[in-house]
Amino acid sequence: MTPDDRLKAAFGADTPPPRDYAFTAAVMARVARRELQLALLKNVPIALAASAVLWSAAPALEPLVSDLAVDLQVPVALGLTVLLGVFATLRIFGPRRA
Amino acid sequence: MAILATDAELVARAQAGSTAAFGRLVDNHQSAVRAFLRRLLADRDEADDLAQETFLAAWERIGRLHAGASVRAWLCGIAWRKAQTFARGRARSARRDRQWLDSRDQAFTPAEEDRAAVTKAMAALPMDQRAAVALCLAADWSHAEAAEALGLPLGTLKSHVTRGRAKLLEVLGAGDDA
Repeated sequence: MTPDDRLKAAFGADTPPPRDYAFTAAVMARVARRELQLALLKNVPIALAASAVLWSAAPALEPLVSDLAVDLQVPVALGLTVLLGVFATLRIFGPRRA
Repeated sequence: MAILATDAELVARAQAGSTAAFGRLVDNHQSAVRAFLRRLLADRDEADDLAQETFLAAWERIGRLHAGASVRAWLCGIAWRKAQTFARGRARSARRDRQWLDSRDQAFTPAEEDRAAVTKAMAALPMDQRAAVALCLAADWSHAEAAEALGLPLGTLKSHVTRGRAKLLEVLGAGDDA
């Protein structure tokens, strides 16, 4: 065995397998996380712009929202009562799971 | 996707946004990148962590890779720069590693003795020499491709390989005449 062969053999122990699916999966999981982070970051300016628009329009929207709230009080209360009634009826008289 | 896609095809698909194609590139080149980093850093876990960071950086920069460029050299270039930054941050613990290697009991078989001696000698080489040896002697890269990956002039790389090889052969008891 020549000295270069011995050197090569000593280095050989550090060589990972040619295919290592666990390593690839770990890298791809990190890539997926980074992709999600970047997608969320991309939406930050849109969210900020929408907030700024709503904030600047708040004085104009406030009377509308107040009127709407008063107008919708009765229908919303009735709707919620009906929904609650339907839900309770189904829970009491509806089909039972095995 | 074709089973035997070339690097160029995989790069083109990855640049178009295919993570599956990038996954194939990782699969094809993980061994070369990890082996390079393991020889540079000695600690396998740290080397593998850095290899993951290398591939993550590669995914972010895949758009900058020119058509026809060597993917292996490009990836090892990223790994090399990450290893340099990492090594600067852990100079103190590297000294600790060397002390640990010095104080360790000798291995039993000749192959293990060689391996321990080479690992210790590699840790003592300057970082540039170690990288040149890891690519050209351990992984059989051409001098030109290694110079491209490490961003070194060809002449400098050749002299790093020659000096590194001489030091490693010396610890194997073969001297410079081999």
